[in-house]
Amino acid sequence: MTTSLSAEATSTRPPTRQDRPPGRDRFAHPGRAVWPWLLPLGLLLALVLVYPVVEIVRLSFTDASLVSGEPYRFTLDTYRSLARGTDFQQTLGITFVFVLFSTVFQLLIGFAAALLVHGAERRGLRGTVVTRAVVMAAWAIPGVVIGVIWGLLYQETGSGILNHGLSLLGFSGQAPFLSDPDLALTSVIVANVWRGTAFSMILCYAGLKTIPDDVYEAARIDGARAHQILGRITVPLMLPILTTTLVLVVVETFNTFDMVLALTGGGPGTATQVLALGVYDELFNQLNLGRGAAMAVVLMALNVVMIALYLRLVERQEGVA
Amino acid sequence: MRGDRIGRAGYHLGQAVLVIAFAFPLAWVLSLSLKTGPETLQSPPSLLPESPQWGNYATVLENTPIGRYLVNSLFLVAVSVTGALLVAVPAAYGLSRFVFRGRRTYSRGVLAAQLVSPLIIAVPAYRLFVALGLVDSYVGLVLIYIAMIAPFLTWFLKTYLDTVPRALDEAAMIDGCSRLRTVVSVILPTIRPGLASAAILGGVTTWSQFAVPFILLDTRELFPVSVGVVNLQQTAGEITTQYLAAGSVLAVAPVIVLFVVFQRHIVGALTAGAVKG
Repeated sequence: MTTSLSAEATSTRPPTRQDRPPGRDRFAHPGRAVWPWLLPLGLLLALVLVYPVVEIVRLSFTDASLVSGEPYRFTLDTYRSLARGTDFQQTLGITFVFVLFSTVFQLLIGFAAALLVHGAERRGLRGTVVTRAVVMAAWAIPGVVIGVIWGLLYQETGSGILNHGLSLLGFSGQAPFLSDPDLALTSVIVANVWRGTAFSMILCYAGLKTIPDDVYEAARIDGARAHQILGRITVPLMLPILTTTLVLVVVETFNTFDMVLALTGGGPGTATQVLALGVYDELFNQLNLGRGAAMAVVLMALNVVMIALYLRLVERQEGVA
Repeated sequence: MRGDRIGRAGYHLGQAVLVIAFAFPLAWVLSLSLKTGPETLQSPPSLLPESPQWGNYATVLENTPIGRYLVNSLFLVAVSVTGALLVAVPAAYGLSRFVFRGRRTYSRGVLAAQLVSPLIIAVPAYRLFVALGLVDSYVGLVLIYIAMIAPFLTWFLKTYLDTVPRALDEAAMIDGCSRLRTVVSVILPTIRPGLASAAILGGVTTWSQFAVPFILLDTRELFPVSVGVVNLQQTAGEITTQYLAAGSVLAVAPVIVLFVVFQRHIVGALTAGAVKG
């Protein structure tokens, strides 16, 4: 990428007419001519994204209810009640487990799948297009539909297919996938990994394609074994992409609630109530706008950390490339 | 040579495992959707329906608004993707072609906007729309959809435009084209594959949106298919397994077809947007 952000940051002095030929000057330094190109998107984002963010922070310091028009006052009670509330701590704990395991497995399986498809392609084996399409299709299905689909797979009666599979393997075949609190969270994580793996796979696969073949060739000539190539060449070269993927997956996982809503609705009890679903529940079932907004701010704070990381990663990559 | 043969077998085996793991849930739902009511309750379950009940689909289309939901989703996708491209193309061009003060801030804003949670947007938007009487209106919904997909499309198209030589713009402008004319009649045709990828990705993302329409729409007739499916599921007392399965198949079929047909574009789009930065 030639128009790197870092180059721009180091030269603060705008080049004068003497520096560049006039034709090029017109392109690089258009004066005000650039703003008509940027304003439509800029205004839309300011209106649709910035306003809600400011508004939700403001509301988080109030005792407003969702029923609009009622008067409300400013208070810190929302945050106090979150800090004291065991339910919120439980939600955070569940979210942490959910995000940790979802992310780790999505990344591991996604990377492995990418290595597999990429490797098979380089060997000229058949079937890679099918594999890619099938895995990626999972990513394109709306989260709620994935929840419904996995709900059908997890049916706990004798007609449930996963339970039938378990009974063929010699288990009881009556696993309470969604009605047992501990097992429910595992079930939700498995479904979420199924949903998100494709995204990691696509990014890793693209990353693998950027590694030139000569690198592998040279390593092989030097007598490197497969696991050495993976550990000393592929993984280090893929590190920037793996970290970017990690950040994107973590954000996505923190914010997801559609799949969980359709699969368990947060239950049994609140065993699978992740933070984003908790925000939804607080707002639209409990109608506590203030407290819900405060929970949303916590969610947003987590996002901000991830966004900052993401920007650093992207800008570093732009600078290098 | 022997090692190589084992290696090849390993690759085939690995791919087979992946395909089964990812295709099986969908295949199972497809199978359920073609069973009779008693068959879905049968224990142990049979893998395939005894005789495929294609009538289940007719029943679902007749007795639930799922057809309506599909049409709504298609409409929302078409309008949102068009709208998003209308703001994303100029912004991408500006970012790719001009050096200006505030460029860094602007690109950071665009990148950060990709990661704002729909839930956080939806709640204040709901209050605002109640006040403005926009609940149940597609106008507000489409604006939010556009704002949610445009940042990603902008970034993707910007990286795409970076690969198009500036000499092309310069030549057109020396020939007397205005900049707008240059973009419309020279640049846009050049980046048509990029536009196609962007449109497909924006379409898939819009199709999957759930939080925003779920919160902003009250009237059933206006639901997109994602919200509609939850609605079907919540009336599970009335709807039996095979119909729920058929509804799910109908809800995913369009996206899967699109995805399989345009797979190449989609891989390219995702990777350009997220990896190259």
